Amino acid sequence: MARKVALVGVGMQKFEFCKTETIEEMIFDVARNALEDARLSKEDIDAVVSGSAVDAFCGIVNSDKVATDGTGGFLKPTMRNSTSGSTAVSTPILGYNHIASGLYDIVMVVCYEKMSENPSAQAVFNTVYDEAYVRPIGLNVPIQCGLEARAYLHRYGLTERQMAKVSVKNRGNAISNPYAQLPMKLTVDDVMASPYLSWPVKLLDTSPVTDGARAVILASEDVARELTDSPVWIRGVGRGADSVWFMGRSNSNLGRLDYAYLAARQAYEMAGIKDPGVEIDYAEVYDPFTFKEMQHCEALGLCPEGGAGKMIDEGVSCKDGALPVNASGGLQGEGNPIGAGMSRLTWCYLQIQGKAGDCQVSKDVSTAVCNAWGGMYQYNAVMVIGRD
Amino acid sequence: MSKKKPEMTISGQIQVDYQWSVGKAGERFFAELRDHKRIMGARCRTCGRVMVPPRIFCEECFVDTIDWVEVEPKGTLVTFGDCYFSTDGKRLDEPWILGIVRLDGSDGGLIHFIKETKAEDLRIGMPMEIVFNDDRKGHILDISHFRPVKESK
Repeated sequence: MARKVALVGVGMQKFEFCKTETIEEMIFDVARNALEDARLSKEDIDAVVSGSAVDAFCGIVNSDKVATDGTGGFLKPTMRNSTSGSTAVSTPILGYNHIASGLYDIVMVVCYEKMSENPSAQAVFNTVYDEAYVRPIGLNVPIQCGLEARAYLHRYGLTERQMAKVSVKNRGNAISNPYAQLPMKLTVDDVMASPYLSWPVKLLDTSPVTDGARAVILASEDVARELTDSPVWIRGVGRGADSVWFMGRSNSNLGRLDYAYLAARQAYEMAGIKDPGVEIDYAEVYDPFTFKEMQHCEALGLCPEGGAGKMIDEGVSCKDGALPVNASGGLQGEGNPIGAGMSRLTWCYLQIQGKAGDCQVSKDVSTAVCNAWGGMYQYNAVMVIGRD
Repeated sequence: MSKKKPEMTISGQIQVDYQWSVGKAGERFFAELRDHKRIMGARCRTCGRVMVPPRIFCEECFVDTIDWVEVEPKGTLVTFGDCYFSTDGKRLDEPWILGIVRLDGSDGGLIHFIKETKAEDLRIGMPMEIVFNDDRKGHILDISHFRPVKESK
C-alpha cells in the first residue's frame, strides 16, 4: 500500500534567456529557496532526485554530476531522471515513488535546464531523431510540430485563431508572474501575423529557449503533518508512452494522444476523480506550443475530446474562467527550460496554498492537475495534487 | 527582453563521430530498397499488423515471429508539414515539405520529402506515391520523395 506523500515546499527563480550562473549555481538557488519555503535544512533531506531532459543543451555530458552539490545531495542517495520533456513531471513522480514506497521520508526534487550555452537549441533538437529513417530527411522541431498540429486541427475541426487565443492568454498571464521570461500583451491578430514556422504553427505559438530551475520538497504524511497544518497531497500520478516509430504506429494519426489519455486515466483513478472537468479546480498544462495546451486539456479531461477550441473561445481556461489553465503564463509566457517545466507543478502548489501572488486565481483551488510531454510524440506524465 | 551574456565564458566544442547500425530489420529493408526498389514490411504473425519501418519484433504483441512482406510504394497522406526554415536554421523564401504516408498493404508508413507539388495543393488523406532515386546506396535517401499520384484518365 503506497504511503501518502505531500508537497511541503517549492523553490522558484526567474526564468531567463541566458543566465550568468552555472547549472550548479542555478540549482543551489532553487534548492535553498525550497528549503526556506519548507522551513527545513539540508540535513533533513533523506534523498535527492534531479531531472533534466537533454544534456546536449548545456554541453555537460551526464550533467547529473554537477547537480549533486547544489541540490544538497552531498553524501546522500541521489538519482537522475530523464524522459525528454516529460522529465518535468516524471521527476517529481520519481520523488513521490521514493516516499510512497516507504524508503525515505523527505526528498528534494530539482529539475533544471540551461539551454543558452549552445547557440542553437534547434541544432541540438536535430540530434534526437532516428538515424536511419528520419534524421537524413532533415526533420526539425518546427515541422515536427507542424505535422502534429495539422493532424490535430484536421481531426477535430479546430482553427489557427483558437491556437492564437492560447498564446494571448498565456503570455498575458505571465505579466503577473515575477519569474516569467516572456510576458507580452498581445492580440489574436498579433499572433496570426507572426511568421509561420510550419503551418499552422507560427512564431507566437511557440515557447522560448530558457535557462532555469525549479525545486520541490516532498515529505511523508507524518513529516508533512508536523511541518504544516495545510499539507498539499499528491493524490494521483500517471504516465504513458507510445512507440518511438511515430510514422509506423498503427494508430498513427498523431492528432490524438493515446499515451496522454492513459497517463491522465491512471492519475485520476488513483485520485478518485471521476469527472475532471468538474472536480479539477485549476490546471497547469504543458504548452510548449499553443496546440499542445489544447491537446493536453482534452487528454486531461478538462474539456471533451475535440472541445479545446470551444474551451478557449468561451474563456473557460482564462484566469477568471471556470477552469483556469496556466495562470502563471505556462511555458509560453514563463519560459520553457525543458526539464524545469516542473514549474507547472510548483504553480499548482502555489495556487492551492493561495500563495500565487498576482497569478492567484479568484476561485478557490483545492485540487489541481499538471502534466508534461516529451519524446517523439511519445510520453506524458500527469500529477494531481490537492488539499485534504 | 534582456539578452545579456555572461562576461566570462569558456568556448569549446564537442565533436564526436558515429557509425550507427541499421539493425537486422534495417539491413533487409535498405538492401531491398537499394537492389530492387522494394519497400519491405514485417508482418506480425500474432496480430497480422504489417510494420513499416520493419522491425524484428512487434511492440504490441511482444513477439519476434514476423514474416517479410513487400508493401506498395504508394499510400495515403497521414499529415504533412511545410517549413520556412532549413534544418540548420536559415530562413527560406519557399517552404520545403515533409509528409507521413501510410503505405498500402501495411499498417505503418514512412516520413519523407514531398515534392512536385505545393503545400496548398495537398490534403490529408490524398493518394501519394514514392519516387525512387536511380542511384541507390542502401539509405533512406534512395527514396527521392513522395508526390501526389497523378490521376489517370
